[in-house]
Amino acid sequence: MSSSNAAAEASKEAGGKGRLKTASTIASIVFLVLIVLGDIWVWIRNPDDLDRLLINLLLGLSAFATLHLRLLSLASAGFAAIGAYASAIFLVKLGMPIWLSMPAAASLSALIALVIGLPVLRLKDVYLAVATLGFGEIVRVAIILLPDLTGGSTGANLSTGFPYEAMKQTRAWILALVLIGFAWIFSATSRTRTGRALRAIRENADAAATMGIDVVGHRLASFAASAFLAGLAGAFYAHSVGSLDAGDFKFSRAVDVLTYAVLGGSGVWFGPLLGAGFLTALPILLRDSLSFLKDFAQLPNIVNGLALMLAIIFMPGGFTSVFEGALGRRIEAGKSGVKLPRRKRWHSAPVPADGIGEASGGRKTEGPILSLVEVSRHFGGVEALSKVGFDLAEGSILGLIGPNGAGKTTLINAITGVIPPSSGRIVFDGRDMAGLAPHRIARAGIARTYQNIQLFGEMSVIENVVVGRHIHIDTLLPEAWLSLPGQRREESHARKEAHALLARLGLDELAYARASTLSYGDQRRVEIARALAMLTPENGDSQKSAGPRLLLLDEPAAGMNETETEKLGDFIATLKTHGYSVLVVEHHMDLIMKICDRIVVLDFGRKIAEGLPEEVSRNPAVLEAYLGGE
Amino acid sequence: MAALLEVKGLEVRYGGIEAVRGLDFSVDEGTIVTMIGANGAGKSSTLLALSGIVKPRSGSISLGGREIAGLRPDRIVGLGLVQVPEGRAILSPLSVAENLELGAWTRKDKAAVAADLERVYALFPRLAERSKQVAGSLSGGEQQMLAIGRAMLAAPRILLLDEPSMGLAPLLVASIFTTIKEIAKSGTTVLLVEQNARQALKIADKGLVLSHGKLILAGSGAELLENKVVLEAFLGKEGG
Repeated sequence: MSSSNAAAEASKEAGGKGRLKTASTIASIVFLVLIVLGDIWVWIRNPDDLDRLLINLLLGLSAFATLHLRLLSLASAGFAAIGAYASAIFLVKLGMPIWLSMPAAASLSALIALVIGLPVLRLKDVYLAVATLGFGEIVRVAIILLPDLTGGSTGANLSTGFPYEAMKQTRAWILALVLIGFAWIFSATSRTRTGRALRAIRENADAAATMGIDVVGHRLASFAASAFLAGLAGAFYAHSVGSLDAGDFKFSRAVDVLTYAVLGGSGVWFGPLLGAGFLTALPILLRDSLSFLKDFAQLPNIVNGLALMLAIIFMPGGFTSVFEGALGRRIEAGKSGVKLPRRKRWHSAPVPADGIGEASGGRKTEGPILSLVEVSRHFGGVEALSKVGFDLAEGSILGLIGPNGAGKTTLINAITGVIPPSSGRIVFDGRDMAGLAPHRIARAGIARTYQNIQLFGEMSVIENVVVGRHIHIDTLLPEAWLSLPGQRREESHARKEAHALLARLGLDELAYARASTLSYGDQRRVEIARALAMLTPENGDSQKSAGPRLLLLDEPAAGMNETETEKLGDFIATLKTHGYSVLVVEHHMDLIMKICDRIVVLDFGRKIAEGLPEEVSRNPAVLEAYLGGE
Repeated sequence: MAALLEVKGLEVRYGGIEAVRGLDFSVDEGTIVTMIGANGAGKSSTLLALSGIVKPRSGSISLGGREIAGLRPDRIVGLGLVQVPEGRAILSPLSVAENLELGAWTRKDKAAVAADLERVYALFPRLAERSKQVAGSLSGGEQQMLAIGRAMLAAPRILLLDEPSMGLAPLLVASIFTTIKEIAKSGTTVLLVEQNARQALKIADKGLVLSHGKLILAGSGAELLENKVVLEAFLGKEGG
């Protein structure tokens, strides 16, 4: 195929793709507009329903904060109850002004979320749902059982004198402003390193941790943010109704809130807003428009349920899923302003010679960069690693070989903290890393790739690599919320660096493809780019001198042919000249023999040989266990 | 020898990406056909289209004279085309024996299934030794054997293998190719996709080279091993 032919075909293809995208984008925008129009209709026709709509939208944001991280929480009703009752108590019993009592009550919700979050967020999926459900019921029962404080189920002595209820004209505007403020915060956050870290955790929490992202911390903070918003919504609810009723905070309410996020889509912050808008407006509109059917009082409910079922069947990923792919990527591609060249095949791409940034230089200790001392790991009675020890000299490449099941990947998991060793020491740059959390080990300067590819599959290739820059971007969230120029500069800088890394690995043309659509070998190279992004020190930042850098590659050439493997070998070898230290697990012996300074051989969890490549390749034990007699 | 599998004008698209663009080839009964190509050339996509996991956009796929393009994957397995997926996809909480039994899901002739199970155990003695063990506890090589064994139990007329040697230690790589040869000898036709082009072409009756979703070269395995393009692009050798 000639190149002009290929270009013509590519543009034809892009045209067809463009039309398809445009159609689905238009359809989804029409749908979105319908929801918004429905909500405005509610606004105009039923002022009494407006509070309910706005409060549900606030609850939608609350649901997003947890479900975005795939935390299936049903605690929202409980937190809303805390917000409602606490704000009333603060107002009536402590005499707090209303503008203070509501945020104070929401903060109390967040505080309680931090306390229960630590144990509860260890649970996953349906187990978390049940645990948080239990929490919600405890709150409701506690309210009923503590009448002296809460006034019991109906908050008897608290429901008097809510100034907010009287503010009929302005209160909707206050609520709307609060809502817009939080929507702004969510939207600004999603464009920062924090938003990206959250998406990474959503896609693959284990891989996110090895990129230096504190997974537990982010989960806890999101849970607290969700509780804050639910508490605030509860406070607004109590004050606009003008009375308290514990019955309003039953678990079915929590299910409603969860449905907002499921129906709207939890990938983007405005998904749950659409879900909440749809689910609140539809029954109101149905009630109004079908009111002439007096004999069929339940008809609106049936139509409502039917609409919900149809929506979830046709848009299983939520309302936003329709244009997440189409719109999201176009926005990103447009923003980068980068002209994407035609893809270079790996074997024709130049071997990178510069720009990787010098590693090392900032070390405090002498001797090997990595020392393993009697590292063992048991799984039940099985000894996957048994007293393995070796040194890795700085700036060298160590090959780790051995039969399948010898414990090579277990060893990489032990070094990176994914599966901590049962015993033994893992000394990196003079510091024992054994048992530290994966994100701490990553931050010390250890990056890895995976045997079973662990990319953030639904994110673009470039975004995957920028996640690798997480620990090098130090924007504070408030800076992003205020859209300060420093933050934007740092983002575009990180993006540029990611592009450069992708170019070096021959992947620049795939920068905006969804990572999961790439072929096996290409995905492996993206993993290498992502790991290097984490290790590469800042360019021109003298304050942060590069520390020690260790790259662990777990079968990087699996799924590549011999030519691609050779190219990869050359690339890994150049890393050495830039001061990186590398540990590589591979079965391609040509690659191992060519690039490794030393080789360690494992069999049944034990080290059976170590030495220079030529020594190891002649070792009778290695020939028998691994290489096969020649 | 008649062609068991005949593919004409096959096209596969994911969203807007054209993975396979008009592919023609055939596989004769009882032979091994090896398909090679760079990453992203469309090899895996072709296999997925043949086994019905991905619906081809256009083209015809005939298996023993019967059109199977667009059929459901379970129907295609029933007709005798069985794929061993890339990355093995074994069911790790189940035992080795249970995994193998699942391979025979579509078959009703119990005696023949038992005979095939014996055949698989004879081919892979390691699986017989570990038949009661949980599949997830097997090493990479053993999992690959299990994946192939499971596919064999569906009594395929043609077996599709996607990178069976990937991630295997050198000793096992050699034994996997020996096994593939034995499978073909016992009468099952094999379509093999491999990155280990040298070994895969060595055992092949016919080789196909894919690039950008199209067939750019075809010939006997031995011919392709001498071909300048193949040497340069896949075997890491400077040609001529």
